[in-house]
Amino acid sequence: MAEPVRKNSHDVWKKLATAVKESEFVQQESIYAKHELLVNEIETTDVSLSTTLRAVYDGEEHKVFMEHLDARLKHHDKEIERMCNYHYQGFIDSIRELLQVRNEAQNLKSEIEATNEELQKSSQILMKKGSELVTSRKIQRNIMAAVEHLELCLPVLEKFGKLREQMNDKRYYPALKTLEQLEHVYLPRVSRYRFSQMMSETIPKLREEIKEASMSDLKDFLENIRKHSPKIGQVAMRHAAELNNIDSGPSAQQPPKVIKKKKKRRAPKPPNPFTGEVEEEDAVEDNDEEDDANPFLQPTESEEGEELSAQDLVDFSPVYRCFHIYTVLGARETFVDYYRRQRRKQARLALQPPTNMHASVEHYRVYFQEVVGFLVVEDHILNTTSGLVDRGYMDELWDMCISKIVAVLRTHTAYCTDATLLLQIKNVIILFSHTLKSYGFTAGKLYDLLVEVRDQYNEIIMQKWIQVFQEIFAQDNYTAISVQTQEEYLDVTSKYPYKDEEFEKSPFPKTFPFSQFVPKIYIQVKEYIYACLKFSEDLHLSHSEVNDMIRKSANILLTRTLGGCLSELIRRPELTLLQLIQISINMNYLEQSCEYLEQFISNITGADRESVHVTKLHGTAMFKDARSEAEDQIYYKLNKKIDDILELASYEWTLPEPKGHASGYLVDLIAFLQSTFMSFTNLPDMVTKTKSTFINVRHMDKVARTALMSACKHLAQRMMDFLLDNEVKAISLGALHQLNLDLMQCEQFANSEPVPGCNDGTLQLAFIDLRQLLDLFTTEDWSAYLADFGKLDCKYLRVPGQRAITLLEKVNTADRKKIFTFKKNERDKKKLIETVLRQLRQLVNESQHQN
Amino acid sequence: MAKTYDYLFKLLLIGDSGVGKTCVLFRFSEDAFNSTFISTIGIDFKIRTIELDGKKIKLQIWDTAGQERFRTITTAYYRGAMGIMLVYDITNQKSFENIRNWIRNIEEHASQDVEKMVLGNKCDMNDRRQVSEDKGKQLAIEYGIKFMETSAKNSINVENAFFTLARDIKAKMDRKLESSSPSGKSGGQKLVKEEKPSDKRRWRCVIL
Repeated sequence: MAEPVRKNSHDVWKKLATAVKESEFVQQESIYAKHELLVNEIETTDVSLSTTLRAVYDGEEHKVFMEHLDARLKHHDKEIERMCNYHYQGFIDSIRELLQVRNEAQNLKSEIEATNEELQKSSQILMKKGSELVTSRKIQRNIMAAVEHLELCLPVLEKFGKLREQMNDKRYYPALKTLEQLEHVYLPRVSRYRFSQMMSETIPKLREEIKEASMSDLKDFLENIRKHSPKIGQVAMRHAAELNNIDSGPSAQQPPKVIKKKKKRRAPKPPNPFTGEVEEEDAVEDNDEEDDANPFLQPTESEEGEELSAQDLVDFSPVYRCFHIYTVLGARETFVDYYRRQRRKQARLALQPPTNMHASVEHYRVYFQEVVGFLVVEDHILNTTSGLVDRGYMDELWDMCISKIVAVLRTHTAYCTDATLLLQIKNVIILFSHTLKSYGFTAGKLYDLLVEVRDQYNEIIMQKWIQVFQEIFAQDNYTAISVQTQEEYLDVTSKYPYKDEEFEKSPFPKTFPFSQFVPKIYIQVKEYIYACLKFSEDLHLSHSEVNDMIRKSANILLTRTLGGCLSELIRRPELTLLQLIQISINMNYLEQSCEYLEQFISNITGADRESVHVTKLHGTAMFKDARSEAEDQIYYKLNKKIDDILELASYEWTLPEPKGHASGYLVDLIAFLQSTFMSFTNLPDMVTKTKSTFINVRHMDKVARTALMSACKHLAQRMMDFLLDNEVKAISLGALHQLNLDLMQCEQFANSEPVPGCNDGTLQLAFIDLRQLLDLFTTEDWSAYLADFGKLDCKYLRVPGQRAITLLEKVNTADRKKIFTFKKNERDKKKLIETVLRQLRQLVNESQHQN
Repeated sequence: MAKTYDYLFKLLLIGDSGVGKTCVLFRFSEDAFNSTFISTIGIDFKIRTIELDGKKIKLQIWDTAGQERFRTITTAYYRGAMGIMLVYDITNQKSFENIRNWIRNIEEHASQDVEKMVLGNKCDMNDRRQVSEDKGKQLAIEYGIKFMETSAKNSINVENAFFTLARDIKAKMDRKLESSSPSGKSGGQKLVKEEKPSDKRRWRCVIL
């Protein structure tokens, strides 16, 4: 500051000097002005003074300038001095004031220092508090962060805890859901924590665990279902029985329940396996109830039981759960596969029949219950899950089942020889198929099988009826039924439709033309038809089918069984002639009864009788055959009796003279025939001759006449055989005469009309061959014989040449043995015989040649 | 026509209806039994060959109807019979009492020396017995004829009875034959008169 001041003063001084010179040097006014300017310039200009100075130095008046300058200086000094004088007081004041200020400042300073110190002191606490606050704030922030993170983690942990809990409670599906949430929602949020990693690691394990656990649940379920399926089947079958009004079981004696439950048995509502726990518990409860309560004895309980459908007995939740779990786990295919495979295995087990199944109907029932149980479960699964089982699988399973069942039944029913059992089996099968039908399984094959079984059944009952018929035949006395009272009369007519007004009006006691076995057989045939019908019930056959079947099997019964029994009966050796006659009469009535049987069948089957397709009963023909067989047997028996007596005959063929009376055996024989035919035609039963029995009587007369004819022909033939027997080499005329005597007995018998209405001469014809032969030999009418030989009007037409030759040779042999005497007439006779023989041989030869 | 037997004995079964004559005969001829009662109508016969002392004997046994209405037919057979079985039913007192009537019948219609025997049939039905065995024996002794209780059903004594009767007939015949053998053929003639199988007798003579 001093320097500028000095400079300034210098400048002033220069100016002053200039001004002085100007003044002093008047000429030099310009110089002065010039110096003035220069001094002003020096004074004012801040720019370098060089130019100015140069200007100064360039002029010669630097001395002047110097003096100007000095003057200027002195001016300035003076001015300064004046100025200083002027401002001095002020300066002093200022200094004084400054000093004062300095003190003040000093005071202030100390004051400030004190304050500062004070402040320092107090702020130290503050600082401490402040840092404390900062720490706290930090802690707080940390806590906040921690809380925030914990809030994030806690749900995860909660979920995890829940998961654990669910796992422990075996609620695997929720567990799985939780797991899912955990994995996808919760854990990513907390991925930086180590526990989350651990959790993530355990998730697959848990999944596996759930899978296993649910699988083991499923296994338990499968095991259970196998255990329960008979019960399910039982209930299902009982329901089906109620619906169809079929007797379901051993309690068949109980009257069928009238209450028809219209309630639909199927429960299509799929229970939710996750929320449906209450229902499940119910089901379990009901199941227990089923176990305890005997539904047949306690009607109230059974009412409750009825409310349940079969599948409600089982808790299906494990399947649903497991299925869902596997679906969720993406192993649905595996599970479906596993389930189906297991169930197929179970199906095979269920279809395996008990080894002794054929022994009792209970075994069949149990078997069916098991199968039904199995199928009901499957059906339920089909209805309540999507895709676990599908139609295709069911169809395949069902096909397998039905073919196996049919095979099993076919095998086992084949063992069955008891009609009642077979009938029961049939009922069980029907019930079985009804049950299945209600679950939508088509059991057509079962019906086919039942038709097969029906044939077997018919076969079995036919066997049974063989016994029945045989018993009837064994018990009959083969004498016409005699009734003493109206009751007895009605008893017979109620069993067998015998319509004869005359007979009805005739007084007691009266006798039916037939014996006991007619009504008995008639009833039994009807019984058989009923038995056949019983099997056809519920087979879903049309009237005409049933009708046709019954007619067919009735025909088999009549022709094969009854026909066979009758044939066997007729051939029985112990039957007497009279019994055979009664059988033959009985056949007439059974034959007539066929018409009623036709009616009866049409009535019970409800089929149109006039239908063209209806099989006719072959009974009529069969009874006709049986009758003719009986008649043949009569003839045969009679001939057999004749043979028996003829066994006793013993002719002495070399007898010289006849004994004068008929042989003993023949007398016996004729007497036997006589008494037999007498009792034949005077049967006590024939006494009441009404119109219908009249036909009978005529028929019997015909049989008697045929029998008589047959007997006579047989007798004549046998006697002829005696003569022509090769063993007999020689026959004397005496023996021929003896035979002639016997023949006369026979002829006498024939003439005596042993059976009324046989006196038309035909009977005698039986003996005509023998008569002509004996006549020829006893009268020795050889000339006539030879003369008329071969002619139609020959007296000995029925004596063939060869037969005459044979006998003549025997007579000749006998003569040769006997004759030792050479009486002339004897020799002549011998000659004659030989001539006749020669001629005869010639004639026979000729006639043979002619032929 | 060669003879297949040595003797022919004609036997007759008589007795009340239902005593079991047919069954006894059926048992003897067929060794069988049929429990249903079928009354015989008229007359029937069976033939069975038996052997006695090495001889073949044909038994022609006539089975008669017990019912009264066939009496005329049946009595015709008494004449030729060589042995008669009188049968009663031990469970039927009446049939036993009637044996006396049947014996009277025999005396009236049969040959004098016919062999007789009384059979008390149905001895298997002891619980329904009405005639004691002793009573039967007593009756037999009274008439001097043999007695047996039989059961056609259980095959008791049937065979025995017929064999006994056949043996008695044979013994009687042999006795007669011996007594008449010195006179040779005439003995045969005598028998012819008495008995039916005359031709057989003669045949024997031829052998002799």
